[in-house]
Amino acid sequence: MRKEPEAFLPLSQATYYILLSLREVRHGYAIMQDVEEVSKGEVTMGPGTLYGALSKLEKQKVVEKAQVQDDDRRKYYQLTELGREVLQLEYKRLKSLVENSSEIIQQMEGN
Amino acid sequence: MAKRKFRLFLGSDVGKEEEWLTEMSRNGLHLQKYQLFSYTFEEDPEKSYVYQIDFQQNVKDDYLQLYKDAGWEYVTNAINAFHYFRTETSNKEVRKLYSDKESIRDSFNRMIRFYVTIFLCFLVSQLGIFTGLFNSWKSYPFYYTIVGVDAVVIVLYVYVLLSLRKRVQSIERK
Repeated sequence: MRKEPEAFLPLSQATYYILLSLREVRHGYAIMQDVEEVSKGEVTMGPGTLYGALSKLEKQKVVEKAQVQDDDRRKYYQLTELGREVLQLEYKRLKSLVENSSEIIQQMEGN
Repeated sequence: MAKRKFRLFLGSDVGKEEEWLTEMSRNGLHLQKYQLFSYTFEEDPEKSYVYQIDFQQNVKDDYLQLYKDAGWEYVTNAINAFHYFRTETSNKEVRKLYSDKESIRDSFNRMIRFYVTIFLCFLVSQLGIFTGLFNSWKSYPFYYTIVGVDAVVIVLYVYVLLSLRKRVQSIERK
């Protein structure tokens, strides 16, 4: 049974950055680093928080295990088709939120 | 040189246990092994670690590797569900295991599910004892001892579950 991508919105800030980091196949720690970098240090995640989030996203079929050769003990993740749609939808939602309100906010600041 | 200490911490007291271990480490005693309320420490006054305990079942290699990558050294575990990690106190870069309240709440909820499951198994296994209150089992010599032990266990479980629930509620209120 597949949940509709809309059902996942809104995403938490952390989840949004996790999905964003999976534009490339990455293992857990690489996700932590990318999130910190892309969010310019605004979002930092402990390994327990990330592990829990990834387990949940994997169960929801938003991300999946990626097959990576040679490696060791690390688990690599990638977005599923559903995950890609969720990320796109959330981006559009946030964008329209900002666009629709920007003029109003600017006026309010001007006063 | 190794030192052993006995301490009883309930599942709902992981925070206190972490503080105690970190404090011990500050005084030069670093946890090495945990077994049934017995903590084995290694003495080294030169070092100092911060300890954290993570509740997680059915973990695989990737779990330990992620924590290791993030700067947490694996120390030991209790019943393969409470995992003890440490990092040197001087490592200011290292993030705490949980960085938001949702994930802290989730970890307490995992603990609650775990304790409820064992509690139910325990109750089922002791059905004979409880129903025995009303029949001939009473003549069994240790019967009242067993009932007493069972009562203590039940009180403990109820206490732990209520404390855990209180924890979850106070996190949600924040």
